[in-house]
Amino acid sequence: MKVLPSRSDVQVEPPLARKPATVMIEIDHVSQVFHTSSRHDHLALSDISLTIEDGAFVSILGPSGCGKSTLLYIVGGFVQPTQGAAKVKGRAITGPGPDRGPVFQEFALFPWKSVLGNVMYGPRQQGVKQAEAEAQSRALIEMVGLKGFEDFYPKELSGGMKQRVALARTLAYHPEVLLMDEPFGALDAHTRTRLQNDLLNIWERDRKTVLFVTHSVDEAVFLSDKVVMMSRSPGRIRQIVDIDLPRPRRRTDLLLDPRYQKYVVDIERMFDDSGDNKLPS
Amino acid sequence: MTAVRTVVARLAPLLACLGLLAVWQCASFALNNDSFPTALEAIRAIPAILGDKEALINILASLRRMAIGFGVAVTLSIPLGLLMGRSRAVASFFNPLLMVIYPVPKAALMPIIMLWLGVGDLAKMLVIFLGVSLPVIYHSFEGAKAVEEKMLWSGAAMGLSAAQRLIRIVLPAALPEILTGCRTGLVLALITMVTSEMIARQSGAGNILFNALDMGEYDIVFAMIIIIGAMGICLDAAFERMRKRLVRWSEPQFDIPLSFS
Repeated sequence: MKVLPSRSDVQVEPPLARKPATVMIEIDHVSQVFHTSSRHDHLALSDISLTIEDGAFVSILGPSGCGKSTLLYIVGGFVQPTQGAAKVKGRAITGPGPDRGPVFQEFALFPWKSVLGNVMYGPRQQGVKQAEAEAQSRALIEMVGLKGFEDFYPKELSGGMKQRVALARTLAYHPEVLLMDEPFGALDAHTRTRLQNDLLNIWERDRKTVLFVTHSVDEAVFLSDKVVMMSRSPGRIRQIVDIDLPRPRRRTDLLLDPRYQKYVVDIERMFDDSGDNKLPS
Repeated sequence: MTAVRTVVARLAPLLACLGLLAVWQCASFALNNDSFPTALEAIRAIPAILGDKEALINILASLRRMAIGFGVAVTLSIPLGLLMGRSRAVASFFNPLLMVIYPVPKAALMPIIMLWLGVGDLAKMLVIFLGVSLPVIYHSFEGAKAVEEKMLWSGAAMGLSAAQRLIRIVLPAALPEILTGCRTGLVLALITMVTSEMIARQSGAGNILFNALDMGEYDIVFAMIIIIGAMGICLDAAFERMRKRLVRWSEPQFDIPLSFS
């Protein structure tokens, strides 16, 4: 007769500095077909399989139209895949949920709510008491650098500030995974760099799993542990590049670092070699 | 210099009204027609109407019908418009119906409605209801359609159900557009109110006007026109104040007000 190990036996953790690598997201043979008005269907994603570990910062990099955002929406549960399935923490994804928090390029803030109202929205929806939600939200607003703007409406903020609010609003309901859909794509270069730095600083605190969609090679290399390169028509995974650069990362240090430069150049070359750049973008 | 400009800008609506009255006065003198009293004669007839208990009861009855017709229309039209804006099935069911009703002058339905419901309050309120409903449905529909998908996704990720998203995201996001429809609806309510009383002559502000016309009391006819116009201006100004307060978050910083508020 077999004796099952008791719970305490299983729970003994090795004395490691980092969390043991457990799987957070599993994408299993996902394909996505869009029906177009011209009657011939468009294969946006073709047989994508990808595993993302807990606490990893993973970028999906590719030209526009390669279906990288669609893949993110499938993980978010906003879009149902035509074939295949996606799982988060072993559970099949059937729809959106507070365990996966999106941040969109379009900000998608609630314009009728103040900055504080936007950030408090999630916690209040999750049943956190008013006073507690407000205190947490004020702390988050300070963390993203918007102290003093609590009572402003979104229309009164710049693009960079709006994206800071959107990030705080999503962090406020403590998702396990951050789904970032070209979050800095609509910002000017200067604002973009500052937000990348701030995002990394915030991420260093609790190292949530991040799935980050971008078409910028240096953004992907700077931020990520892993870069998933995609090609288009149909959207496929070309290659997965592990970015072995020390953390915490500082942009000014990295720009001088030959290893960083090599990652950027290698990835750009791989895109150049493919036919992707010859297609109109 | 700026102070002078502010004063001029503030007084502009008043000046426009005085200008209109002056033109009226001159035109009336020039035409010298019995059926076209001067502005002063018409204004002089106003206190007599407002001092008359019977007339006041009539006007209040009109406003009551208008308020009920408007209220019921808004209560039903906003949810319908929002649902149409978010559900293709609902939209394709109701759109053809609305397209048929839209170009029909609602007052033209009055005789038929009177056959069914009599000449009383109910028939008139129904006509007002029909007049108000269409712009409110249309604007709610357009407003709901324009709500950013990602805003709804953000709500869904926070755990809002489909019904909660409709009430707590689509409704506030579409509110500026909805209130534009309600404002049009309010003016249409006043217009259909008067026309309904013109066709079903029994009571109300429109009835006073057309009775006076029958009796050849033209100063009263024009006085009633002024009173109805003033009611419209006051209702619209009050509504604009409320609307501005509700959608402060969406208004552009500078705009020329198209109202008296």
